[in-house]
Amino acid sequence: MSEKLRLTGVSKSFGTTSVLQDVSFSVTDGTLLTILGTSGGGKTTLLRLIAGFDTVDSGSIVMNGREVSSESMSLPPEKRNVGFVPQESALFPHLSVAKNISYGLSHLNSTAQDSKVSELLELIGMGDHRNSLPETLSGGQRQRVAIARALAPNPDVVLLDEPFAALDAQLRSKLREDVRAILRAANATAILVTHDQEEALSIADQVAILRDGVVAQVGSPRSIYSQPIDVELAKFLGDAVVIPGVVHSGKVATQLGDLIPNATHPEGASGHVAIRPENLYLQPDPKGLAIVTGRQFFGHDALVEVRTAAGTVKARTSGPISPEVGMPVTVWVRGSVNFYPAN
Amino acid sequence: MAFGVLVSLLPLLYLMIRTTQMGITELTDTVLRARTLELVANSLSLSTAVCLTAMTIGTAQAWLVYRTDISFQKFFRLVAILPLALPSYVLAYAWLSVSSKVNGFVGSWLVLSISTTPYVFLAVTAALRRHNSASEEVARTLGRSQFNVAKSITWPAIRSAALGSGLLVALYTLSDFGAVSLMRFDTFTRAIYNAYRASFDRNSAAALALILIALTLFLIYLENRTRTIQPRTTIDQFRVLKTKLGSWKLMAQLGLTIWFILGVAIPVVSIIFWAVIGQSKANLGEISRAFINTISYGMAGGVLVAFFGLAIAILVVRYPGSNSRRIEQTILITHALPGVVVALSFVFLVNQSVPIFYQTSALVLLAYLALFLPNAVTVLKVPIAQVPIGIEEVARTLGSNPTQTLRRIVIPAAGPGILSAIAFVSLTVIKELPATLILRPTGIETLATRLWSATSVNAFSAAAPYALLLIVIAGLPALLVNREIRNVQNQSSLEVPASVSKPEPSEVK
Repeated sequence: MSEKLRLTGVSKSFGTTSVLQDVSFSVTDGTLLTILGTSGGGKTTLLRLIAGFDTVDSGSIVMNGREVSSESMSLPPEKRNVGFVPQESALFPHLSVAKNISYGLSHLNSTAQDSKVSELLELIGMGDHRNSLPETLSGGQRQRVAIARALAPNPDVVLLDEPFAALDAQLRSKLREDVRAILRAANATAILVTHDQEEALSIADQVAILRDGVVAQVGSPRSIYSQPIDVELAKFLGDAVVIPGVVHSGKVATQLGDLIPNATHPEGASGHVAIRPENLYLQPDPKGLAIVTGRQFFGHDALVEVRTAAGTVKARTSGPISPEVGMPVTVWVRGSVNFYPAN
Repeated sequence: MAFGVLVSLLPLLYLMIRTTQMGITELTDTVLRARTLELVANSLSLSTAVCLTAMTIGTAQAWLVYRTDISFQKFFRLVAILPLALPSYVLAYAWLSVSSKVNGFVGSWLVLSISTTPYVFLAVTAALRRHNSASEEVARTLGRSQFNVAKSITWPAIRSAALGSGLLVALYTLSDFGAVSLMRFDTFTRAIYNAYRASFDRNSAAALALILIALTLFLIYLENRTRTIQPRTTIDQFRVLKTKLGSWKLMAQLGLTIWFILGVAIPVVSIIFWAVIGQSKANLGEISRAFINTISYGMAGGVLVAFFGLAIAILVVRYPGSNSRRIEQTILITHALPGVVVALSFVFLVNQSVPIFYQTSALVLLAYLALFLPNAVTVLKVPIAQVPIGIEEVARTLGSNPTQTLRRIVIPAAGPGILSAIAFVSLTVIKELPATLILRPTGIETLATRLWSATSVNAFSAAAPYALLLIVIAGLPALLVNREIRNVQNQSSLEVPASVSKPEPSEVK
């Protein structure tokens, strides 16, 4: 698989505020990369640099083998062949759905434009909205049209800036799947930025974590979630129980027992382990040393608060069989854990 | 309320009756003269010139200060609307006192362009604010150049605002009396006034007025046709892109500065200059009498108009329906008519029916009511609409009948808004010229009439204190109140800013 986009050492500051430092990553043809970061972390700036709305201070951006940004040059957005889907669809309010989609197709004759528009309307499942005006569409429909509009000229890369942020939670997860399917069907290469962990992990082929203007980690959703590079990331990516531990003959000795680290560490190193709540198993045990102190019931599962020797921890249990408050239990840790030596 | 509506309709009705009484031959004789043709040509060419100038400059100003990286944006945003503080006849006086060469067509063109450009500026700025510039970025990524994006995305977003306000500008120019009369340029308004003054030739004045009404109605018709609703942008907050002007920046900066010098700096400096020169000769007694008369008319007019305005606003807001809509549209008709025409029709009407009313302050106030009722209704609708219907319903369940609810709940709750409406109308009345000039009792002078007569005989230093007073007590406060009202309206009704951002025509009459 070929590489569609590569950023090398990209830095950007506004005035004295450094927004991005030495950012490097690449995106493979036909895949979706999500960039996950807190708000104000430089995600949107990164997209704007790739789109050509802003210029890099240093570093380079290469798209489809062609350099589009460097310290000395910057191709204007209309010459880059990128698709852009802003946070709030930003459809052209005076143009119909079809005219919005065909806006970037002015190099084609009208028959070719029409068939491309039909094809895309089909793809986004909005064939009967061809002549509607944007203001008559729902939020989700607008966002679909915005994606179709971006896909129409067959861009090298589609950039999506928090495309679901303005939608309500239920619509968001539905649209998320649809967008994933649409991008896949179009075999598009895409970058989506978001601050929502679940969103970033659920639809990506690759995830890049952007923290304080620096790429902290890049990898598949599974590896990012199961092996975050530090405690802070572990907590950022989801609930985590963090307890101190010391390496002792290949295992990490903690107050929840001797745990298996997923990497080897020198004997005697001390640090912290991070355990996902779903990796904790609560065994009802009249002689157990831990006591259930609270329970949040979600139906399919439950988050159970347990007071242990290591402090109060949260464990995710199967909803119907979760232990009652006040019940003594023994806490087990399933599988290997991430150990982060203190420095 | 019915009285208010009736007063609004009277002038038009009466003019019609009057001209039909003239007989066809007399009417056609009066209308079909070379002189009439000349007036039509003058009025239309002036309106066209002013309209095009205001549209070009106002749109450019709005785009430059709102959507580019131009320096001193706040300053230029403020000075762009500053001419609203200068009634057209004050500006005309200021420019005449700079050079007597500025007169006739060119003088009227300059002065009215300065007066009306802020309306275009405000309308286009409002449209730009509603436009999401992220769509321009998207358009760039879809392969269009910056210029092409401006044409295919930005212009459609502001087109209806620019064209609509342009037509309003034409309408104001057509109805302006102060500037053209001082600049001695023969348009309909000046000719009507002169025909009436010189010979008390009421028939010819009435016939001319009828043609002017026809032209006005035609423009209103055009304006209504262009008033398409700007497609609502589907978002409520977004970033504003600032275009980098690069090497054009200096030129744009220079252009804005020149317009500021022509429109605000030179007139204001000139007025102050003449005021200082004539300081020793100023007749303080005359000035203070005119001041008191002006304030009295302003306050009485404000209260009277706001009273009827409140009744209609309550009806329109609380009991929407075809009847209340019809009432609102009816009072708007007179509002669009030139002040000269409205004043004149009151003269005819009163002389025919109740001559004892002729040249009384009561008649002056009645004319204000006809002219400014729509302003009051527009402004009053907002505070009334802001009183939640829920508190009225609670009041009803606690035993208040509808009248008591209105008196004890709605009006007190809308109180601040009502006060600012009274202030707004009062300030508008203070600046009014033609109706006051024609209808005032003999011997009663206001700041506006004093300024007008002194300028007519080139007594520039004698006129200066009146110009200064008018700016300070009416122009600047009106600007502030107007801004306040606009802000409130923008906050309260985000969905319908198109209509509230439309300027009130009264200020150039």
